[in-house]
Amino acid sequence: MSFLKIENLSYAMGDFKLDNVNFSVHEGEYFVLLGQSGSGKTMLLESIAGFHDVEGKINFGNLDISKLAPEKRDVGFVYQDFALFPNLNVRDNITFSSRYKQIGDERETLDDLSEFLGLTALLDRRITNLSGGERQRVAIARALFSKPKILLLDEPLSAIDPTFRNSIMKFLKQMHRKYNLTTIHVTHNFREASYLADRIAIVMNGQIKQVGNTDEVLNHPVNIEVAEFLGFKNIFPTSLLGEENNKQFSVDPNAIYLSKDKLTCDYMFEGKLEECMGIVDHYKVYVRVGKYQFFAKVFQREYQGCYADRGEGIYVGFNKKDVSYL
Amino acid sequence: MRNWFIYGLASLSCIILLFLSLPLFRMIFGSDIKTLWDTLWQEDVLASIYLTMKVSFFAVCFVVLTGLPLAFLIARHNFFGKSFVEALIDIPTMIPHTAAGIALLLVFGRGVVADFFESFGIRFMDAEPGIMVAMMFLSSTYLINGAKEGFNKVDVKLEKVARTLGANPLQVFLRISIPNARKDIINGALMMWGRGLGEFGAVVIFVYHPMVAPVLIYDRFTSYGLKHSAPVAAIMIIISIFVFLSVRFVNNRLK
Repeated sequence: MSFLKIENLSYAMGDFKLDNVNFSVHEGEYFVLLGQSGSGKTMLLESIAGFHDVEGKINFGNLDISKLAPEKRDVGFVYQDFALFPNLNVRDNITFSSRYKQIGDERETLDDLSEFLGLTALLDRRITNLSGGERQRVAIARALFSKPKILLLDEPLSAIDPTFRNSIMKFLKQMHRKYNLTTIHVTHNFREASYLADRIAIVMNGQIKQVGNTDEVLNHPVNIEVAEFLGFKNIFPTSLLGEENNKQFSVDPNAIYLSKDKLTCDYMFEGKLEECMGIVDHYKVYVRVGKYQFFAKVFQREYQGCYADRGEGIYVGFNKKDVSYL
Repeated sequence: MRNWFIYGLASLSCIILLFLSLPLFRMIFGSDIKTLWDTLWQEDVLASIYLTMKVSFFAVCFVVLTGLPLAFLIARHNFFGKSFVEALIDIPTMIPHTAAGIALLLVFGRGVVADFFESFGIRFMDAEPGIMVAMMFLSSTYLINGAKEGFNKVDVKLEKVARTLGANPLQVFLRISIPNARKDIINGALMMWGRGLGEFGAVVIFVYHPMVAPVLIYDRFTSYGLKHSAPVAAIMIIISIFVFLSVRFVNNRLK
């Protein structure tokens, strides 16, 4: 049975609307809501936390919590900018919930969290004197201290220096393993989603477009809209492959072969080179085949002189195994 | 090039600073210490200063209790008539104080409202509650607007997170919203209190007796002349500056 089940959730604010959202999260799962800025991810997360008066159901087990006040929902929330209380020091921020909830083993919980998150030496500091990474750990400790049933993370890595993102992603994974806490993580970053998520939901324009296992969602988008959002290139009709099923397919730019001579691929087309752009360690090559433009990435180490001058003929090829049907 | 601009700004600033400070210094240093000391211990002077401070303080307390919720409502919510409410808060600062005194006289001096409070033994005409009402009417704007500014500066996300940590709306208001807006609230309260200390126009119409310090200064000036009124004014200014600077200092030290 689902741990958290969202059924027909709708909420409108100004011109924007969360529209009939449905998905479920399993116990102990790391679930990522992946979408562009303005797609409604944060609003959805806030709706689960109880900050919006929504239509529809939010079920925790058998209990519909959609009408409960936020303080009665047992959720932990970490905002993008961490929202630490400036009037309280690190210790008081972390233990804030102990005044209002039965925590149990407060001292032990604080010691355990402080040690795991490396905050022991910072407990008496004012939060204004903390770095971005330290603030994030305090915000996570504060949420975990309250012993929530579910942890909601709103773009937790976007305010972090890019140099530290990998280590913090690793830390989030460790944290999830250690506390086995059901987590919903909102992000627009595919790498974060790919590394952290057990399952992913794609959010676009206030709607859930696809839900599934990480591999399935990231590699097999259900439609062109999702494929384009996920950065799929070379989306063409299957008629180009000689098939008559009115579908679309996509080919990874890294799986496309280019040559001045004929190729021995499953599919091969003759086209004209339109652009060849050198980007650090690879080239981006654009080839026109009839009314379609193919995009290929070629590593510099594999590059053996220009395949052709702009406007000259060039062969484009790829194999069946690299074709993704949409 | 930068220097002449800075000097120009500084010269013009000096003119206004001189204008603001000269009367105060003249008042404070115009009387000798012995006269000030003797005046301070005159019974009616001491009583009027104490009364002014006390009533002004109570007025601030009352507006803290009723004005902070209003300021929070305005800062956090959109509701029908919000602009009207905001205008209503600002209006008292724009009308002549004597006109405000007459308006208060008509409401709290006679009629239904006056009778209602009279039934609980509360009288406004020529009584301390009347002074408090006059002070509140003309100076609550400073506290309410100050608090509104303060609440606007508090990130709503702090309040939301506090709710997820188990605090109900009242607990969030008391533990997060007010403490994080306290600088503006204290500044607003200070402005209101200071403005209340100097309230004369409305008070003199509504409550001549018991005399607050500004009325006493006026009374002495019209009855005995400058020599007897100036020391009272000087003492009032010194006490006000002292309290004002002390609270500001403490407020600025708050982190």
